[in-house]
Amino acid sequence: MRNLAAMLSARRGRGKPDWTDWLSYAYLLLGLVLMFFPVLWLVLSSFKSAAALNEFPPQLLPYGQKTVEVAGHEAPLPLYRVTLPDGAVRELAEVRRIGIQATLIDPAAPEQEYKVNIRDRKPVREFRLALGNYTEIFNKFSFGTFLWNSVFITVVATLITLLFNAMAAFALSKYRFAGRDTVFLLIISTLMIPPTIILVPNFLVVSQLGLLNSLWGVIWPAVATPTGVFLLRQYMLTIPDELIEAARMDHASEWRIFWRIVMPLSAPALAVLAIFSVMWRWNDFLWPLIVLSRTEKFTLQLALNAFQGELTTEWHYLLAMTVITLVPVTLVFAFLQKHITTGIAASGVK
Amino acid sequence: MAALQLKRVVKRYGETTVIHGVDLEVRDGEFVVFVGPSGCGKSTLLRMIAGLESVTEGDLLIDGKRVNDVSAAQRGLAMVFQSYALYPHMTVYQNLAFALENLGTPRAEIDAKVQAAAKMLRLDALLERRPTQLSGGQRQRVAIGRAIVRNPTIFLFDEPLSNLDAELRVQMRSEITALHDRLGTTMIYVTHDQVEAMTMADRIVVLRGGRVEQIGTPLELYNRPANRFVAGFIGSPQMNFLSGAVAGREDVLLGIRPEHIALGATSAPSLTLTATIDRIEQLGAASFLYCALAGGEKLTVHTAGQVDLASGEQVEVSLPVGATHVFDTSEAGSALPRG
Repeated sequence: MRNLAAMLSARRGRGKPDWTDWLSYAYLLLGLVLMFFPVLWLVLSSFKSAAALNEFPPQLLPYGQKTVEVAGHEAPLPLYRVTLPDGAVRELAEVRRIGIQATLIDPAAPEQEYKVNIRDRKPVREFRLALGNYTEIFNKFSFGTFLWNSVFITVVATLITLLFNAMAAFALSKYRFAGRDTVFLLIISTLMIPPTIILVPNFLVVSQLGLLNSLWGVIWPAVATPTGVFLLRQYMLTIPDELIEAARMDHASEWRIFWRIVMPLSAPALAVLAIFSVMWRWNDFLWPLIVLSRTEKFTLQLALNAFQGELTTEWHYLLAMTVITLVPVTLVFAFLQKHITTGIAASGVK
Repeated sequence: MAALQLKRVVKRYGETTVIHGVDLEVRDGEFVVFVGPSGCGKSTLLRMIAGLESVTEGDLLIDGKRVNDVSAAQRGLAMVFQSYALYPHMTVYQNLAFALENLGTPRAEIDAKVQAAAKMLRLDALLERRPTQLSGGQRQRVAIGRAIVRNPTIFLFDEPLSNLDAELRVQMRSEITALHDRLGTTMIYVTHDQVEAMTMADRIVVLRGGRVEQIGTPLELYNRPANRFVAGFIGSPQMNFLSGAVAGREDVLLGIRPEHIALGATSAPSLTLTATIDRIEQLGAASFLYCALAGGEKLTVHTAGQVDLASGEQVEVSLPVGATHVFDTSEAGSALPRG
């Protein structure tokens, strides 16, 4: 907490705030609003009921109509603020409405009925979270399946990416062999080929392997990333060769050197790559769209897309699903960001 | 424990030859020091023995068995690196235990061996620390401990003391010597510091440019240097070299160590010269006089105690004939029999 306070009140000098301080804070605030407001708007909207979403003018906070339980009526009745013909204003519960005529009762004295024009009544509203948006999507659609598919692809692909890329980087950074630099250049040069160009060849390969409509069809083509190999190789170059030689003198096999020495020491770079990989795989849309065509294999991103119907879109569910898809990436970033900074700091020192 | 033999060992990197056919025999239990200026190939030679560099030509034998193609892990040697090369993500205990784990040693045995090594090197209180939390001397001891735990046949040291301050270096020097006395294991030690070489070695191997210049005990090297390079390298300050002529040969180099030159005349048969003092260094227990001879040649004189002289003064110096060395003036500068 004290760190946060110190960060938020940081100033240029030690004395009074300089005009540059005001300028910096104004700029940062603008950035904060620009970046964070849409997310905040999304999260708040995801708690609105379908009716509240369609309201105009839109409200920032989610509101719902107040209801009361009245003896003799099964369902809770909606509350209205009614202007009676005599000019008195009272909060009454609506029993029924026919045309422009509404019949209301006083919840405290339900015997007497009031008939008023619907223009003379206004709904009584309160702050209410439509949590149903979140609970219903699990029952209404196979949301659990989509979530599982996404989690499976992301976790498995990230683990395989880390392992394979680290092995490639280890060989490229710590072994001397003919053609090493050529291999490295080849790997790096694949960065210059846009993914859309290899979309069709990739599809043909995956189709030949019979991996269409299989989650592995999404995982395998994604695990070998030139960015990951490059990132890890550059980091592993900073691990002193003497450590590896010492391990060799300590009877360690090459696999053990990789697993016990190089991998733990590359942890900061691995964390960075893990974050990238999670974001890539979780947000991936085009490739899963091509490989997966059966609904039960859909990832969350595909499901979100399928959710936007041709004629109607159930926005309250769509928004709730969008929030859920945002959560894992946010969590991964929050927990691993310390490693990113230490990773950058460590590679900066040596 | 093991004996080591090098037969015409050559190391080449592409076209460049860095080790030119080295022959060497290290006896079981011997403490051998490789010494030479930087770039002389002493570290490369050590790494070849360790198995970290391949042998281009020649044979490397441990206990009579050719090990050229045996990997570093299988040779059963242990090495202490200049940078210590401790695994930074492991505790001291894990650092010491790593080699034993790799060998598949049972847990209890690992624990016993690590505890024993830690006790011997006074590391018992530090076992749970990480290398970054240790001082230079402590790291050095962990590096040695890591070598000790698995009872290697030969210990290799690659300039292990060069990262320590002077005081600690003297202390660790005697600790390593004591360790050798206690374990009796063959040790090969690389250094560029001739004082380390002289104080620790059973035998010294002097290297220059990938060639062995001389192999011998410290005093052999001091008393009978094989050539001009060894004569200049062993001993501090450096031996003086004066051009001159001896009976039967003209054009030779006459070498004499600063500590053998006497001020004034002596009774022993000697060569007497007059020199002008350029500079004096008084250390209290000893004094160094940096002089110039009439011909412009430099002469350093080392005398015990303090002297009552000033720079610019002329002094008479005696060079005892018995303490002089004679070298030819060729590139090799081989020692000649004293004339």
